[in-house]
Amino acid sequence: MSKITIPLGPQHPALKEPENFMLVLEGEQISGATVNLGYNHRGMEKAAEARTYIQNVYLIERVCGICSHSHTTTYITNVEELAKAEVPQRALAIRTLIAELERVHSHLLWLGVAGYEMGFETLFMYTWRDREQVLDCLELLSGNRVHYSINTIGGVRRDVSAEQKAEVLKRIKFLEERTQYYIKVGTEEPTIAARTANVGMLPPAVALERGAVGPTARASGIARDVRKDEPYLLYDKLDFKLITHNTNDVFGRLVVRVLELVESYKMINQLLNNLPEGPIAVKVPMKIAPGEAVNHYEAPRGEDIHYLKSNGTEKPERLKVRAPTMANLQSVAYMLEGGWLADVPLVIAAIDPCMSCTDRAAVWDQKKGKMQVYGWEEMRKLGIEHYKRRGINFSRL
Amino acid sequence: MTEFINEEKIKTALAAKFHGVITNAEVRRRNRVWAEAAPAALPEVLAWLKSEGFHYLSTVTGFDEGENLGAYYHLNNSALILNLKVKTPRANPVIPSILAVFPVAVSYEKELEDTLGIKVEGLPPGRRYPLAEDFPVGQYPLRKDWKVEDYLAAEAAKKTETK
Repeated sequence: MSKITIPLGPQHPALKEPENFMLVLEGEQISGATVNLGYNHRGMEKAAEARTYIQNVYLIERVCGICSHSHTTTYITNVEELAKAEVPQRALAIRTLIAELERVHSHLLWLGVAGYEMGFETLFMYTWRDREQVLDCLELLSGNRVHYSINTIGGVRRDVSAEQKAEVLKRIKFLEERTQYYIKVGTEEPTIAARTANVGMLPPAVALERGAVGPTARASGIARDVRKDEPYLLYDKLDFKLITHNTNDVFGRLVVRVLELVESYKMINQLLNNLPEGPIAVKVPMKIAPGEAVNHYEAPRGEDIHYLKSNGTEKPERLKVRAPTMANLQSVAYMLEGGWLADVPLVIAAIDPCMSCTDRAAVWDQKKGKMQVYGWEEMRKLGIEHYKRRGINFSRL
Repeated sequence: MTEFINEEKIKTALAAKFHGVITNAEVRRRNRVWAEAAPAALPEVLAWLKSEGFHYLSTVTGFDEGENLGAYYHLNNSALILNLKVKTPRANPVIPSILAVFPVAVSYEKELEDTLGIKVEGLPPGRRYPLAEDFPVGQYPLRKDWKVEDYLAAEAAKKTETK
């Protein structure tokens, strides 16, 4: 059978961060894939050079709509390192607390998206309903659901009161129970296993070679987690396990994320029950002496790394941001190769890409001899129908 | 600074292995080693570091220092980050490609070419990244002499011309 190349993406008007995959197909099987990026380049690194350090906190928060706290924390850690600021313990604890709440909201969001791409819409409905609980916690603590803006240079902007603590603990308790149910569904439900096992394979050697990060790497048995490798914030004082799995597939990525939720709840409980006393912020001068710093952070999707150079003024000389999806895309190209066209949505979704905008796939129909353009919706339907014909049907559950 | 045993060890080994190629090697704090390499030897130095456990290239940061352009290669061995700097003259900025050692660097190298105009020797041709397809060729926004205001004025002038 002759090979055909089809584009998948890049545009989706409703979602952020578009990207394009060129898939080489032999029938329904993918024999090659390349990733094309850059559709959403916003020039933030240049923009940061024209803004003051404090203005940049709000700019950097908008790098991502889901891990907004990850980016500001990485940025602020660099600024504080250069300014030699001693951040109070209580501020670090609140930053860690928000970081773990963010991970919970991000992983629950992913679980819903994965369920949706599998055709298991009930799971999507459940997780997104439960995710509201953690978003309420974030709103309660910071005033915002998405861009929490809790960070400021030298500390955090809001303290945690006793009432807030009780309310958050109550909601986390509810989520702990729900997550036990998700662990059961995720690991025991045969339909989920049928859709995810041996799909999007990424052997450990390839994950290492292609620089995979976060749950994507950990599901291939690579024990990489910045929280353990180079503990920042208060992670060295917290008791939590590094979750890895050895199936190297979408199923493993699901297991890693669901089990990480449990670890996050553990950390949230530890943090709220042992909040250090003291101030929540220190003053940091506007101007920062020349210097360079590099810091990394375990965002929900993997390692987030920033480089910052200061020049003695109140504005940075150079800021570099590398988000985890960038590191994982090379692995996606590998995962797609050898797989089925019907698995593409699930495999791409399985790294929890911070873009999910792979809309509009064109497929060449050899019998009819014409090009047909698929949208994400139709691609998803194709995947679900493809598996229904093989007896994997979530609508019977 | 005797408390940084691992950091000092890698710094000394690197400087000894590549005598004359590696300059300004220093341990700035726990888990952070900084060094500068001669551009021509870059692939060789990275290959050696990879064999020493620095499996992971976190990212590449391009920069403009006025007389020189250049890049930082942020390598990671799960414990410490090694920042390797290379500089190249602004008049003729060239850096060898490291794809033979780190195939993952393709986007990072394209970024150097696109945003700073550093020629990466050995980078296969392909579509540009990260700038838009219609962004003027030959303009490098991360260079310090590139001003947003000038760009916007030029774009506005183009629009009036077409009218």
